[in-house]
Amino acid sequence: MGKVVGIDLGTTNSLVAYVGERGPVVIRDASGDALLPSVVSVDAGGTVFVGREAQRRLLTDSSRTVYSVKRFMGRGVDDVRDEAHLLPFRVGGEAGGVVRIGVGGQEFAPPEISAFVLRELKRRAEEHFREQGEFDFEVDRAVITVPAYFNDAQRTATRDAGRLAGLEVLRIINEPTAASLAYGLDQKNRGTIAVYDLGGGTFDISILKVEDGVFQVLATNGDTHLGGDDIDRLLTELVITELGTAGHGLPAETVQAIRKAAIQAKIDLSTADEADILVDRSPSLPDGFTRRITRAEFDALIRPLVDRTLAPVRQALEDAGLEPHDVDEVVLVGGSTRVPLVRRLVEELFGRAPHSDVNPDEVVAVGAAVQADILISGRREMLLLDVTPLSLGIETIGGVTSKIILRNSTIPASGREMYSTSVDGQTAVDIHVVQGERELVADCRSLARFRLRGIPPMPAGLPRIEVRFQIDANGILSVSAKELRTDVEQTIDVKPSYGLTDAEVEQMLIDSFEHAEADFEARLLIEARNEAESVVHATGKSLRRPDFAQLAGREIPPSEVAVIERALAALKEAIGGSDRELIHHRTHELNDVTKHLAEVMMNKSLREALAGRSVDDV
Amino acid sequence: MTPEPLTVRSITPPECRNCSASVPVDEHFCPQCSRIQSLGRHGDYFAFLGLPRRLELDSQELDRRFRDLSRQFHPDFYYNATPSERLASLERSSYLNDAYRALKQPVSRIEHLLSIEGLPLGTSDQGNAKVPPSLLEEVFALNEELDEIRDARESGADPSVLAERLAAARRPIEAKRDEHERALAEASAQWDREASAGAAERRAALETLRQLLLERNYIVNLLATIEREAAAHG
Repeated sequence: MGKVVGIDLGTTNSLVAYVGERGPVVIRDASGDALLPSVVSVDAGGTVFVGREAQRRLLTDSSRTVYSVKRFMGRGVDDVRDEAHLLPFRVGGEAGGVVRIGVGGQEFAPPEISAFVLRELKRRAEEHFREQGEFDFEVDRAVITVPAYFNDAQRTATRDAGRLAGLEVLRIINEPTAASLAYGLDQKNRGTIAVYDLGGGTFDISILKVEDGVFQVLATNGDTHLGGDDIDRLLTELVITELGTAGHGLPAETVQAIRKAAIQAKIDLSTADEADILVDRSPSLPDGFTRRITRAEFDALIRPLVDRTLAPVRQALEDAGLEPHDVDEVVLVGGSTRVPLVRRLVEELFGRAPHSDVNPDEVVAVGAAVQADILISGRREMLLLDVTPLSLGIETIGGVTSKIILRNSTIPASGREMYSTSVDGQTAVDIHVVQGERELVADCRSLARFRLRGIPPMPAGLPRIEVRFQIDANGILSVSAKELRTDVEQTIDVKPSYGLTDAEVEQMLIDSFEHAEADFEARLLIEARNEAESVVHATGKSLRRPDFAQLAGREIPPSEVAVIERALAALKEAIGGSDRELIHHRTHELNDVTKHLAEVMMNKSLREALAGRSVDDV
Repeated sequence: MTPEPLTVRSITPPECRNCSASVPVDEHFCPQCSRIQSLGRHGDYFAFLGLPRRLELDSQELDRRFRDLSRQFHPDFYYNATPSERLASLERSSYLNDAYRALKQPVSRIEHLLSIEGLPLGTSDQGNAKVPPSLLEEVFALNEELDEIRDARESGADPSVLAERLAAARRPIEAKRDEHERALAEASAQWDREASAGAAERRAALETLRQLLLERNYIVNLLATIEREAAAHG
């Protein structure tokens, strides 16, 4: 069995952590950075870049670079029409179907893009374990976090992403709950905790009761389309508007440069009273752009966004049957809680200062690692009891929702409903499952359509079919059915409304293996070419020296020069092709035949360097 | 609205799947091999939680039992178990969560008691049924007042005056609700005292509870109607 990790798969950044012998560890890259930007870029040759490198490519190859893909997980094309306009990549797909992300000539489902991020985290963790001298360093299982307010389709999409990345997803857990688990690690006390989690793209509020190591969520609420991204967009739009006519039809790369400047200004404003939005010069913006913004102006700009978090907080408190002053601790999670206005409004609402002694970026990954450790160790000191954020219902006559499992029910949760037939000899019944709080099916989120088949032919109304809905500890629904008169288990065909079928995931998995091999090959080929080009470059430089003829005449016979020229031409030809082995081979050949040349050059350089100096100076 | 309690159909004889020992229906684990048992036919939340069938319930004791049993059943702790144990853990956890939710609130607790004592409210009794005789007078007055308020609103009356009239219409209904909740508390205490009495006394106590609960649900629905009316005023 391989290693197990906890993963915070964020809108903006992702992290990976595990529980070692001395407690939880957040895994960092070679430069000490724990955050992996959730950005994926695919170049024209099909090579995939993830993280910082992909983030850099946002400024040079925007249309092939995808960020904030979490906002599209488990969503339909119709949901996201409004927000696609400032994004450099294509957001499309069939009407009524799932979102497809277009990168160059290729199309990806959002879980496929997320899988690239997960694979990079898996690779990072494996490298870490290898460096630790672990014999068995493969990472094959993970707990992955999602916003508490994610619906069934969004959770399933996240689980699909894990599968596509070659990870067995042990559990999907909610981000605020994970945070509370990490936060509660060294707290022996009990009480009521509110976790306010404002991340890059999503907002969650969870109210928990902690007692005897049991972390019981009382209520949760949120908005899966509200976060730091929206602040960035407001600032970006501000700059584009102020550019006037110059702001029309800017290339995507320039929009990204503005966005980068806006993000920097936002970060600066967390500690300073004013900051500059500094956009560098570029062909489409020859003078660049500088705009000073004060904290007060910034606060006024983002106030409506922050206010949108308050109604869910009040609703969660009401559902938990609590008043704001009943809450003992307020914990802030997510990078966007560094915004001073957010802290102030949260403090005003609860009438107490929120905790800020936890790292809001890392606490979720640590919680995921702790949960992963609980699952594999079977230790029972701590237990998370989470809830389902949205009511589960079925469509009844007249398009009205009949609720079967109410929101804020502790999971796992189950419900059942009796069905019958309306026509003599009917052998199948269609069921439409939705999630949401509204009365009408049209106002709720369609989850799936089920067809119950294999009902024994009977007069209309006689069959008694019991359909069981089971929400598991991941918050994901499964359905089973049985005809009670005959005790016959029914077959159920599931058509997810905004998700991938199992067959589609399987196919993607096969494609991604092929793709992964191609990726690896592409990377190796690029490396080989780079190495070859540097040798070609150095050799060419020597041959073109103005004093070469003089040097060669004395030390390098023409036959040797001819050999070098031939090897050089042969390598150049190989670089033009894509045979990696051939490139390697000819690089070595050129290296061999230029050894003597290199020595001569080296000696000459030395002699030049020493000329005019006495031996004592050396 | 509380769903009817789950009476899960027995799919296996009441014996341990692991060691075939016979297991009493209220045991969660096999007395012989201590494996978690699949959830057979069960409908009694009180017995499931190991509590007496009483309506006065120590809320902290309920919480404690819920936490203890969660620690014993939760799927987290069956990750490496056999498929049948994992299924049993999922079923028992789901059932425990239902049981806890139903017993936590006094009203749903009474509803559950009635259903296991053979006097279920049924889905058509959730407050939409015909007007309980004891409420006829109030309901008649309320409907008349609501009609007048609607007419006044449509002819453009001052919203603040209408809001005042709505609030006034609310008051007697709220008083009725408070009265019923006191009566329910009294009837609950009566049930707890009669629990060991004869069948006739028990039946009478249950009938009282049922009647009060039906009326109370009806009143809650009336209040929701007033709420919707108030919302229509913006």
